[in-house]
Amino acid sequence: MNNNIKFQNMEETKNNTGQNLGIAALITAIITFVLAVIPCVGLIAIIPGIIAIVLASVGLSNAARNDSPRGVLLAGLIIAIVASLISFSQVFVAGKIAEKADKWPNRIEEIITDVQEDVLKDLEDANISIKIENGDEKIEINADANKKNREETLEELEGQDTGVNDSVDKK
Amino acid sequence: MTPLTRNESHNTASKVRYSKEPYLVVNIVFAGIILLIMLYSGIFSPEKDNYPVTCIHSEITGEPCVSCGLSHSFSLIIRGRINEAYIWNIYGMRVFLFFCSQLFMRIIFSILYIRYPATRKQLIILDIAGSSVIFLISFWHFFAYLLKFS
Repeated sequence: MNNNIKFQNMEETKNNTGQNLGIAALITAIITFVLAVIPCVGLIAIIPGIIAIVLASVGLSNAARNDSPRGVLLAGLIIAIVASLISFSQVFVAGKIAEKADKWPNRIEEIITDVQEDVLKDLEDANISIKIENGDEKIEINADANKKNREETLEELEGQDTGVNDSVDKK
Repeated sequence: MTPLTRNESHNTASKVRYSKEPYLVVNIVFAGIILLIMLYSGIFSPEKDNYPVTCIHSEITGEPCVSCGLSHSFSLIIRGRINEAYIWNIYGMRVFLFFCSQLFMRIIFSILYIRYPATRKQLIILDIAGSSVIFLISFWHFFAYLLKFS
């Protein structure tokens, strides 16, 4: 009679251990899942993920030996594996972002060059006025930076006959 | 040693029975974890900026991620400064509401689980489905961020 009670108690203790492992694995797995989705702490989630997988695996092997229910253990194992995979994927995400971040300085340089070219183009057609005042003296310089006008002026000047032979002698 | 009265023995038996229910244990643990998260948000203040958890993602990449500022956002929500919380992290409120809803659900579902033993299976299925949907809605932008780069 006493031996029977002892045997029953031992069986209950074994089942409880399996169930407790299942609960621990499930809780750890769900926490891992929530952490794995958050990019800030996603990489750390690998640690509880591995712990959950180990707990669930040990629990499953115990359950297989004792023929006890495995529902909670299986749920814990599946969630832990999925969560660990998500957590592991964060490594690739971080790598890709770092790769993109390396390309950003080149892109910024390109943008600066574009802006410089645009500003220079705008200035080609600009009118510049400089005023210098010193007491009663006043100097005003007006310059037309219009490229087209300058080209026309240059053509006009070239077309004028100055009477001076400025060409180089060909010897 | 005085023998247990009928009422006392019933209470002891029910305590033992409830402690053997995995669903109730899980609910109690999660409720405790959520309360700890709220305590963490309450203890650490955004003014002092003394949060122990730093963003590993931004330390590796040098770029802020979608969940940066979540701790600040939680602390500000707890202090009732909702507008500032949105500035720190636009999704902070959503995630905080997820934890609040989970705390509420853990308590309600545990009560229902004890009161209506006949509907336990349906309750667990409803809980899993409901929690999954709320989780997806709350963390959708984090998933989208992961999918964008992977």
